[in-house]
Amino acid sequence: MNRLLSANFMRVKKNKCFWICSALMFVMGIYFAAGSYADMKKMGWNYTLDGNCFVYILFAPVLLAVFGSLFLGTEYSDGTIRNKVMVGHRRLHIYLSNLLTMLAAGIAFCALYLLPYLAVGIPLLGSFEADIRKILLIMAVTLVLICAYGAIYTMIAMLSSNKAGVTAGCILAAFVLLFSGVYISSRLEEPEFYTDYNYTVGGKIEDTGVKIKNPRYVDGKKREVYQFVYDFLPGGQEVQCVRKTLAHPFALPVYSGAILVLTTAGGIWLFRRKDIK
Amino acid sequence: MEYVLRTHALKKVYGNFKALNGLSMNVPKGSIYGFVGKNGAGKTTLIRLVCGLQEPSAGEYTIYGQKNSQKGIAEERRRIGAVVETPSIYLDMTAEDNLKEQYRILGLPSFEGIDGLLKLVGLEYTGKKKAKNFSLGMRQRLGIAIALAGDPDFLILDEPVNGLDPQGIVEIRELILKLNREQGITVLISSHILDELSRLATHFGFIDKGQVIKEISASELEKVCRKCMHVTVSDTKSLVRVLDELGMEYAVLSEREADIFGEISVTELTMKLASGGCEILKIQEKDESLESYYINLLGGGKDE
Repeated sequence: MNRLLSANFMRVKKNKCFWICSALMFVMGIYFAAGSYADMKKMGWNYTLDGNCFVYILFAPVLLAVFGSLFLGTEYSDGTIRNKVMVGHRRLHIYLSNLLTMLAAGIAFCALYLLPYLAVGIPLLGSFEADIRKILLIMAVTLVLICAYGAIYTMIAMLSSNKAGVTAGCILAAFVLLFSGVYISSRLEEPEFYTDYNYTVGGKIEDTGVKIKNPRYVDGKKREVYQFVYDFLPGGQEVQCVRKTLAHPFALPVYSGAILVLTTAGGIWLFRRKDIK
Repeated sequence: MEYVLRTHALKKVYGNFKALNGLSMNVPKGSIYGFVGKNGAGKTTLIRLVCGLQEPSAGEYTIYGQKNSQKGIAEERRRIGAVVETPSIYLDMTAEDNLKEQYRILGLPSFEGIDGLLKLVGLEYTGKKKAKNFSLGMRQRLGIAIALAGDPDFLILDEPVNGLDPQGIVEIRELILKLNREQGITVLISSHILDELSRLATHFGFIDKGQVIKEISASELEKVCRKCMHVTVSDTKSLVRVLDELGMEYAVLSEREADIFGEISVTELTMKLASGGCEILKIQEKDESLESYYINLLGGGKDE
């Protein structure tokens, strides 16, 4: 498998899409740190280093979807996956080497945001406000999360021979997962009651003191299911990491790990049976 | 005879479609095996199975004596180089980078052989030109160079001259002959361009509806398709006497018709027959080609 990894990493090194995505993450790292400082000076708002520290987890999965689908999709569109199979490499190794390449690229994208963000942010915004252990924990959650995304994209790319379909599928998966997370988050944040107001003729608003039950509030068993899906889905985890409000911080990496293992096991099982043309 | 590839009752089914239906064939070591058949006859499917890209639905094959169900088949596959349908090359890389990539996949310790391979396939001057800007022939040759990267003993080429211009066809033909004669590489070529195959192959396998219906060596085929002169004369007895005198090989077909094999001076034959009182009514050169043999074998079915 080392040979396959070596071949893959050399391809990554020469891959324009990888460098463009890396540059984007790098520039975003500088932009979010310097931009916060500029706003702080201009508007007088209070920004901390914690604020935009984990924003990368919103962008990295999308960029990984673009890079990964093009990188792995090329194997089928150019037919080069045949070269690997024909010289006797096991399909398991071909799959795993591609997965590891994706994971490495995903982690690289995250690191390429974090390094300039911290390098520019610490001198300008000071150190972290939150407990460093919490920061490191969220970082760890995001790294396992990007690996879960990498595993999902690898599975899509390895099982479909259509490069355009793979690209569309991966990007769609990234957005669908994110928007699902945002939606579930909004449902969970609905208040249980809202206050009843009276609008008088003079435009005055009066609090009637009556609390009205919010019909969109999710409660009981349904709330537990929503909370589980929010924790389990990569999109839900993304939202939690960006907001730094992890309800079950130690469960999230376990869920991401489960996604990684399940998609990889399923992907390998199907890829071994796939007829390659 | 030693065989590089043998298949036995190989089957491959896609849904309800039987692509291979009990195919058995034998590729002798050192041969150039021409695999002839219509489009959709199962040529590419067989190649995909042999290359490990797909698994057979039933039956078995052996590569260098190793069965496809045995673990050692992966090891034997390393002795194969193949170009299946289109050349497997990274279009956004140069010829050299493509070969380097294949060297890494193969785990070769150095890139020493790359210049030689590029020279062998005539791509040594392509420099930084990316494969996407190559002509079809150049891509095909790069595909062959990649197939040759592992120094294979057995080269499988699926329709290698499809879509090539006449110059490209000649170049590929010369390359295949060179590899076979100078490096002793066994070559399996699938094609439906019969004229091209007849110039290369030492053995032929004819496939139809997923089955090999005939395997024949080029020398056997030559005997079957022997060039001859078909003559119609007034008296074949006189003709036989003259041909015996000249030491020619012949076959009498009727009282007035015969086939004469080998080179013969028509003037000499005419004069000798005239002196014996035999009249030549008609002379016709007969040359059954691989094409006509193939058509006869398949019962005159049209190419799809």
